[in-house]
Amino acid sequence: MSHTTQTIEAQKSFTLPIGPLHVALEEPMYFRLELDGERVRHVDITSGHVHRGMEALAAKRNFFQNVVLTERVCSLCSNSHPFTYCMAVENLSGIKPPLRAQYLRVMAEEIKRIASHMFNVAIMAHVIGYKSLFMHVMEVRELMQDIKESVYGNRMDLAANCIGGVKYDVDSALMDYAQKNLERVAMHLREIIAIYRNDSMIRARTQGVGRVSPEEARRLGLVGPVARGSGLDMDVRRDASYAVYPELSFQVVTEEGCDVHARAMVRLREAYESIGLVRQIIEKLPEGERTAPLLPIPAGEAAARSEAPRGEIFYYLRADGSDVPLRLKWRVPSYMNWDALPVMMKDCAVADVTLIVNSIDPCVSCTER
Amino acid sequence: MSQAVTVNNTPGGEYDSLAAELSAALSLTALWQEDAYGNPFGWLALPSPAQLLEAVKIMRGRNARLCTVSAYAEERNDRDKKRGIAYHFILGRLLFTINVRIYDPETLEKLPVPSITPWFSNADWNEREFKEMFNIDIIDHPNPRRLFLDERLDAGVMTSLIPFSAMLHGAGSKDLWEKVMEEKTGHIPADGAQPAIAEPAFTPVEKSASAPAEQKD
Repeated sequence: MSHTTQTIEAQKSFTLPIGPLHVALEEPMYFRLELDGERVRHVDITSGHVHRGMEALAAKRNFFQNVVLTERVCSLCSNSHPFTYCMAVENLSGIKPPLRAQYLRVMAEEIKRIASHMFNVAIMAHVIGYKSLFMHVMEVRELMQDIKESVYGNRMDLAANCIGGVKYDVDSALMDYAQKNLERVAMHLREIIAIYRNDSMIRARTQGVGRVSPEEARRLGLVGPVARGSGLDMDVRRDASYAVYPELSFQVVTEEGCDVHARAMVRLREAYESIGLVRQIIEKLPEGERTAPLLPIPAGEAAARSEAPRGEIFYYLRADGSDVPLRLKWRVPSYMNWDALPVMMKDCAVADVTLIVNSIDPCVSCTER
Repeated sequence: MSQAVTVNNTPGGEYDSLAAELSAALSLTALWQEDAYGNPFGWLALPSPAQLLEAVKIMRGRNARLCTVSAYAEERNDRDKKRGIAYHFILGRLLFTINVRIYDPETLEKLPVPSITPWFSNADWNEREFKEMFNIDIIDHPNPRRLFLDERLDAGVMTSLIPFSAMLHGAGSKDLWEKVMEEKTGHIPADGAQPAIAEPAFTPVEKSASAPAEQKD
């Protein structure tokens, strides 16, 4: 091999660092890519840039203070964390929230899911350079933000949950307002789904990109829309149903594409399903109490899980009979899904890396908690 | 009011064969519960890590999914010694937890834990995390690098956290004040010394407070 050929070969293989701060990453994560020309051959992920030690904090706050703390693990899943934490405490102490509280909990959860999914697919449009679509989806998402602000007083952290029930209530005026906004979102969402499904530019940039097979998804223990985008028919809301989900009608959305496009389609269709769930709640919401009487929290252990927008959230609680948990551990969906990135990025083009990262809807503040 | 959690001696239905298999292989009996929505929970306690892989293989054989792994201290005031690990598995509707005691009950000496990554590859991050956060030793981990913490930090920081409240009480500023006065005057003025701040009993901060981590670069 001549010197010139050797030089060209050496230039073809190199290492490309992305992050920890990057324009397409909302939060810090470091990717070390081994490249062969334009193709990614190996990915190494380094995390821990913003680790907050929240689980240690949780063991220094009482059970009530931890409702507030867990709501601050993550902004997009901010309802799922205190919801699941409260379920774990209720499992330990033997509390069952009243029916109206269970409906209101699910309502908050589904409103958050719609907004979360729309945010992710909007960012996907941003990453591929489809700015007008990005702006449109974010504008429609504002309708959900308006619902949150009107019903809960906040655009992100809803403060809806408390141990034994919920802290908020709705009257007919708020329900009418939410209903009207949901009608508008549903109308726009039907169009948006058609665009994402059929637009040639979106399909060219996302179909066949970032593939993870059903077997790999199962092996890696993937959850949420990432798993369902690879055809895995799993959803905690149906598989280990909780609150009033058994009384509501909804479909678990799956796609068979196993790629970036499939994951986006799962999120969009799920957002539409969630609109149907909120509508059912508005129709069926029973009168009654919003909280159950508190019972002592005994020594012991308990667990609970739920389906957050990004997938399964799990809480594990150990108590020693005092008012402060001995241990509170939670596992977020992103924690499982990061490990899929080396599989998804294998032999992909450098230009697709940020697109693939966005497709798992990554949350660093959840992961590093 | 109905109890949210009911306790059973047997799981019933589709999980009876799992209970029987675990009992035959390990000579241990699991505790079975249901939450307020009828979701089943199983809890199995292993007295040492020696039986862990056998239990894990049973879960693998039933195509369970590893949900996560939780390391913990059994007692609030003894975080360095009495440690345990909970392995949480999902099997259909069932959430099954295997608790493993990882210390010798006689000597309180900590016991190493075998990696379960050959059976559940998604245990990788979980095991690396409890290794660095709780200073738990893992045997045969395929990728034993730090997950979150920088290599310069000591392992087990979850048990040596300096509470923010202790810092605000002046524990840190007192040390700095004394250092400045000693360098300036050669001694620490007795009247300037502040009373010692009592630390919360459950937070062993002595090591961190008396011997700050050495900067290696």
